Amino acid sequence: MSAGRDRRRMRVGFEMAIREFVREPINVALLVALPPVMITSYGSMMSAFPELSYMSTAPETLGSIAGTLFVAAFLPGVIGLFQVISARRADDRLALAGFPRSALFAARLLAVTLASVLTATLSISVLSTQTAVEAPIPAVLVLAFVGVLYGLLGMSIGTVLPRELEGSLVLIFLADMDEALASGIVDTDSPLTKLFPLHYPHEVFQAAVDGSPIALGDVLAASLYGVVLSVVTLGAYEAVTARGGEGR
Amino acid sequence: MGDASDGDGASSPMAAEAVLRASGLRKTYGNRLPFGRTVEVLTGADIEIRAGEVVGIVGGNGSGKSTLMKILVGALDADAGTVETSGRVGWCPQDELLYDRLTVRETFRLFGEGYGMDADDVESARDWLASTLDFADYLDYRIDHLSGGNRQKVNLSVALMHDPDVLLLDEPYTGFDWETYLAFWDLNEELKAQGTAVAIISHLINEQERFDRILELADGTLTDVTDDGSSQAGDAGVR
Repeated sequence: MSAGRDRRRMRVGFEMAIREFVREPINVALLVALPPVMITSYGSMMSAFPELSYMSTAPETLGSIAGTLFVAAFLPGVIGLFQVISARRADDRLALAGFPRSALFAARLLAVTLASVLTATLSISVLSTQTAVEAPIPAVLVLAFVGVLYGLLGMSIGTVLPRELEGSLVLIFLADMDEALASGIVDTDSPLTKLFPLHYPHEVFQAAVDGSPIALGDVLAASLYGVVLSVVTLGAYEAVTARGGEGR
Repeated sequence: MGDASDGDGASSPMAAEAVLRASGLRKTYGNRLPFGRTVEVLTGADIEIRAGEVVGIVGGNGSGKSTLMKILVGALDADAGTVETSGRVGWCPQDELLYDRLTVRETFRLFGEGYGMDADDVESARDWLASTLDFADYLDYRIDHLSGGNRQKVNLSVALMHDPDVLLLDEPYTGFDWETYLAFWDLNEELKAQGTAVAIISHLINEQERFDRILELADGTLTDVTDDGSSQAGDAGVR
């Protein structure tokens, strides 16, 4: 198999994944409407929250930041989930035709990455109307990274639990709990919270918004998390889908 | 039933090499939950299909025809048994396994990439099939905007576009109008003449003369009923 053919397959797979996505109006509507709704709602809800001693940021700002991270994670997560589930049986046929599973996976992940960048850019724009973002470029980058992380999680969930309703529920509970723990709204010292996907990205994002120095350790830990999750997701995808379409 | 010789000097399918051979296929659908049902579908099915041969596979509802075909094509793992194929395989599943929001043209392009075809080959195969099966006017329609019959034409065409050596068709003419049904059989004759092996699953076979052999799947095994008659077809009174 030539590298040229691999690249062409990836390009065609990516192009088709994008076409499939944008031709579902609800997808585009969610992508545009959810960031402003979630970020302003989280900020408004938290404005009524008392400023407790362990909080380093005002509750309203904390809420806006939490809403931004939540939407940047949840939307690409759902997209990843639906990319895997909705086309599952057609993907099986395409793979039987000779389209490599790894190329199919990469094409879907690229589509999720594009959605992550769009969501991150829109989310930062909305957050900027709520609070000052001191370092917008690192902030966008970390939000896009969060989108890819959750996109991978969505693809993993869709692979092992190929049901749209149940998969979406798992994803929404995970993202909500994850961001609540990472944001500092809940005062907890449990080391287990560091195992959640948003723990380190939240630290980096908070620093980018505040303008405080970004800790290299947080960046490395988040990157390592991303690498491990990519490998696990690809492994699960190839292992489960290789068993045969109806065998799952 | 078609003659073993096609009358134009081509060699008999009965003497041709086997392009698909499966033996001892077993498949049981289990249930991991307690008190769930276990269904034994295939109990040692054997099949051999030769180049240029058109084989019909009949059987009652739930007899395991589609399971057999999925195993033959590699879409489903058998519990036991072996499948050997030589050459390219084309598969037309019973359900249209296509991308709903892609157009017909895009569908050909995507599956053409899967088959490793060049853009020119994809285009010529697409145009020939669209003309033969009469869906040329719908190339820019999304799959989910097509009628059931046109979707089935595209479903079949995706199985044919790479000029396979073995063609496995599961209820391929469901939803076809009469003209398309006849066009399908003309196409089938062309494929047969060029040496393509074709296996067609159907609930009912009502034009027996179009097939070289008819196999009946019952109780998990295949029996050649070409001369004896199929109980399925016989019960339905359509032979």
